[in-house]
Amino acid sequence: MMSRVWPIAAGVIADSIRRKIVYVLLVFAALLALAIPALPSYGLGVESAVFREVAMALAYLTVLVIALSLAANRVPSEVERRTVYNVVGKAVARWEYIVGTWLGIFLVAGGSLAAFTVVEIAVGYLTYGEVMWQLWHGAVAIWLEMGVLSAVAVAVSSITGPVVVVTATLSVLFLGHGRSALLGGEGALALAPFVPSLEAFNVVNPVAHGSGVPPLYMLSMFAVFAGLSGIALAVGAVLFGRRDL
Amino acid sequence: MSDASPAIRVNGARKVYKLFVGAPARDAVHDVSLEVAPGTIHGLLGPNGAGKTTTLKMLLGLVRPSAGTFTILGEDSTRPSGRRKAGFMPEQPYFPQHLTAEHALRLYAQLAGVPNGEIPGRTAELLERVGLSGWGRGALSTFSRGMQQRLGIAQALISKPEVVILDEPASGLDPVGQRDVRNLMLALRDAGVTVLLSSHQLSEVETVCDEVTILNGGLVAAEGRIDDLLNVAGRTSIRARDLGDALPDAVRPVAESVAVSGSTWVFSVPDDSVRMVVDAIDEAGGRLVSVTPMRDSLEDYFARLLARTAGEVESR
Repeated sequence: MMSRVWPIAAGVIADSIRRKIVYVLLVFAALLALAIPALPSYGLGVESAVFREVAMALAYLTVLVIALSLAANRVPSEVERRTVYNVVGKAVARWEYIVGTWLGIFLVAGGSLAAFTVVEIAVGYLTYGEVMWQLWHGAVAIWLEMGVLSAVAVAVSSITGPVVVVTATLSVLFLGHGRSALLGGEGALALAPFVPSLEAFNVVNPVAHGSGVPPLYMLSMFAVFAGLSGIALAVGAVLFGRRDL
Repeated sequence: MSDASPAIRVNGARKVYKLFVGAPARDAVHDVSLEVAPGTIHGLLGPNGAGKTTTLKMLLGLVRPSAGTFTILGEDSTRPSGRRKAGFMPEQPYFPQHLTAEHALRLYAQLAGVPNGEIPGRTAELLERVGLSGWGRGALSTFSRGMQQRLGIAQALISKPEVVILDEPASGLDPVGQRDVRNLMLALRDAGVTVLLSSHQLSEVETVCDEVTILNGGLVAAEGRIDDLLNVAGRTSIRARDLGDALPDAVRPVAESVAVSGSTWVFSVPDDSVRMVVDAIDEAGGRLVSVTPMRDSLEDYFARLLARTAGEVESR
């Protein structure tokens, strides 16, 4: 199985390396990270905490744009340009194509996050003389959430185009993080259990203001990631499997 | 068709497209069955919209059939495992433009399950075979249409398949490229590979195919060996030279489809008149060039067949 999934993922990675958008976003984000210490809202004694909080937000937005730009276009463009025929015309199952595509995007997101986190930690060390290792916890949480969102995007992209993919994925993101706010009101409470929460990946407090994410919580995040990504990819595989190419 | 079980079998293929619930259904393929004997080249012909590509796509699991069964070497080819021994070149193949030819073939070789150690050698061999040696490290974004077509054939052959399905393989190629593709198909057949070829190029089909299936309006309009389809029963084609300004008197009443080019006469006669006609040409001092069973051109046969079956398609 992996002998077919991995080459597809590697193709996505090679394609993303070619795309300038990944580099441009990373460089732009790195420049912004360098500028964080200059923010006017800094208060005495909380500089490094605010730095970590803003750095995480910056990493989140950067990788979200990278993951979405890859996930929204990959399958639709391969179908439109018919490059997909050379793949699924072989002994490659449709679900392997979907999983391989997602895996490639997930790994690109991970690589981008790792690179960006190194820059953040370097900037933090140079500015405050402190090695902010907690940022790695934040990076892992963001990476896992991007994995879920990429899976949703790939699933939606298996039957529709980039605009719908972006809209649907951002809707899942807002709904996932705002479940209690959006569905917590009177009369809507019954819907809440049906809406998957992405709040499990929100580790801003322990990373920015605490002492990092506890190992058990980290493990449970992996479980949530595996469950939600698995469901999204399964739906995507079924939808793509039923599609005429 | 030989007694051996067919390399490719399509039975009762049907594809109905319906855009949404309540919309009228449209049959892209109404009822197509075909069998391809092992080690032969089988042509799939038909006008635009006849259902050729849809049939091939159903065979390869790219389109979900509304009905029918599809097997390659006895295995259900709509499942990935049933396509392990098949290679497919889609019409006008496209490739990820950021790859080089070598990288693309490596990717497709990995997907086809070629052992890693064999990939470099096989890639080099195939690039040479399709006339792209020296282009292995060339970016596909710089490849011409014809070069991409050649690479498409290479990727179809990367796993040394026993069955090759080619959709318009000569499309976009120059005459030399078309000849190369024909020779490649013949070489594949000589090596025991079964080839199913969909093409608009009737001369290509006539040259290389052992059998053909002609589709029209999603139905099989004709099928069989090329010779059986094109030979005109009961008539012989005569080619002779130096007959002067007119055919001998004895020949004139039985000759049909008479054509003259320079000193060469070409005409057809009933089979039972051949002996008499040959003698008459001798007596008139002419030189007999050839005596062959009269044969339609595939173009003429194709045009007549489509005209004949148009009514059936419309009445469906």
